[in-house]
Amino acid sequence: MSRTISLVLLLSLPAAARAATITVDVRDARGAGVADAVVYAVPEGRELPLGKKTAIMDQKNRTFVPHILPIQTGTSVRFPNSDDIRHQVYSFSPAKVFQLPLYEGTPANPVVFDRAGVVTLGCNIHDRMSAYIVIVDTPYFATTTKKGRAQLPQIGAGKYALRVWYPEMANEPAPVPLMLGASENKGLVVTIRK
Amino acid sequence: MLRASNGVESGPLREEQVSSQVQLGIDWLPSPFVMAHVHLLGRSDDADARRGHFGIAEAYLDANFRPGGDRLRLRAGAFFLPTSRENVDALWEPAYTLTPSALNSWLGEELRPIGIDAAWTHRGLTAGATVYRGNDTFGALPVARGWSLRDHWITLGEWIPVDPEYVTSVSAENDRRRGWSARGAWIGTWTDTSALVQLTHIDNRADGLDYGALFNWGTRFDIVSGEYTKGDWTLAAESGWGPTFLIVEGTKYTTDLRASYALISRRWARGRATIRGDLFEAATRGRALTVAWLWNLPGHLRPGIEVSTSGGDQRVIVELRYSFSGR
Repeated sequence: MSRTISLVLLLSLPAAARAATITVDVRDARGAGVADAVVYAVPEGRELPLGKKTAIMDQKNRTFVPHILPIQTGTSVRFPNSDDIRHQVYSFSPAKVFQLPLYEGTPANPVVFDRAGVVTLGCNIHDRMSAYIVIVDTPYFATTTKKGRAQLPQIGAGKYALRVWYPEMANEPAPVPLMLGASENKGLVVTIRK
Repeated sequence: MLRASNGVESGPLREEQVSSQVQLGIDWLPSPFVMAHVHLLGRSDDADARRGHFGIAEAYLDANFRPGGDRLRLRAGAFFLPTSRENVDALWEPAYTLTPSALNSWLGEELRPIGIDAAWTHRGLTAGATVYRGNDTFGALPVARGWSLRDHWITLGEWIPVDPEYVTSVSAENDRRRGWSARGAWIGTWTDTSALVQLTHIDNRADGLDYGALFNWGTRFDIVSGEYTKGDWTLAAESGWGPTFLIVEGTKYTTDLRASYALISRRWARGRATIRGDLFEAATRGRALTVAWLWNLPGHLRPGIEVSTSGGDQRVIVELRYSFSGR
C-alpha cells in the first residue's frame, strides 16, 4: 500500500522584513492535512550554535507526551514520569543511545541530545509505549497541527533547506531549497510507502 | 510490603491476618538492545505450598530490534504472559487495586511460560507468539480448589496444593508437549486518551494424564481484553473462557472455565480509587466486588486499603508498600 503526501509550501515574506514567517501546509494525496509532521528549515552555508534549551518528554497513562518532540541539537530533555507506576525508558537509535533505569518521578539528570537525527523511545515495562524525538540542526522547526499546518516564525534572511519528517514516511523527501529575501511559492509532492 | 486483613480462612477471599512480602527485580542492561531480568520473591504467607516462601518468579533475557521503524522484542526464559490489563506495573504488580481479579490471580498463580516469546509492533498493531514448556497442570486450581482473588505469584519449582492429593506447578513438564500462545492487540493513542483491545489464545497442550502428585490438565483458554483511558479515568476489562480436561481411567472429563472482570479507576493527586466487579465459573459460579483506595505519597511509601465481598464473605486489607529503584 502506498500513500502520497503533497507538501504545499506557501512562503510569504514582506519585502523589507529581516525576519519572516513561513507557513507550511502538509497534506496527503486526498488533500487531508497531515498532523504531527515535523517541518524545519536548516540554514545552508553557515552553522548555528548548539541549542542550550530544555524540553520535556512526559509519561502519562503509559503514553509518552508528546508523541513527537522536535528539538534543536544540544537540547536537554527531561523525562518525568507522571504515572503512579514505574517506567524504564530507552533508545537504541543511532542519534542517541541511552537508557533510564526503572524509575518514578523525575530523574535528576536530563539527557542531552547532541547529534541530529530521529530517536525512537520505548519502555521496557510497557511495550505499547513509543515516541519520537526529532533532533534538528536549526532553531527553526515546528510540528504540524491537526489540519496539517506548521509555522516557522522569525526566520532571518538567507539560504535554507526546508525539510519534513513524518513517522510513517519510508524515505525522507528531498529538501526544498529556499532563499529568503524574495516572495515565492513552491510545491512539493512526496510519496511514502507504508 | 506489610499487609493486615480481617483474616478469611477459605474461599475466593482467603487471606492471612498478617503477612509480608519482599520482591526484588534485578535488571542488567549491557546495552539498550539487551536486558536481563530476574524477579525474586519472598513472603511470609506461603499458601501452604511447598517451596512457597522464597523463589524466582521470573528470569528472562530480552533482545530489542527496530526493523524498518517497527519494533521486534524477543524474550527467552520464564515470564508472565503479557495479557493483563491490571498488572501493568513493574514486577507484574496490579496498578489499581491491592489484589488482582480472579482471572489474573489465576494466571499469576498457575501460568508462567518457560520458553520463547516474540512480539512485533507495527504502528498501533502488535502481534505476539509464545512457545513454552512446563505449565502442564495449568487449569487445576479453578476447578479443583476454586478461584481466588490474591496476589500469590507462583515461583519456579513451587508446588501449590490443589487438593489433599495433588499439587500444581508451573515447572511441571510431564508429557514433553510444548504449549503455545498467540495474541494480537490494537492500541490507539490520542491527546489525553488511549484505547487498547487485545485477543489472546493459550493452549498448554497437556495430555490430561496423572503423573503422581502432578495431574496434567489440558487447557485451552481465550482472553479478550480492553482498556480505555481518558485523562485521570481508566476503564479496563477482561473476559476469558475455555475448556480444561483431564483423563481418569480412560475417561475424559471436561470443565469449562470462565472468568471476567471490569474496573473503573480514577486518579487524583492524593491517590487512586478503583471499583472492580468479578465473575468466575468452573465447577461452581461466583462473583466478587472490590473497592480500593491507594494513597499517592511523596517518597517511596504507598499505603492502600481494599474491601472485597464474595459469597457472603467480606475481606478488608490494609497494606503498606515500600518501593524503590536504584542503580
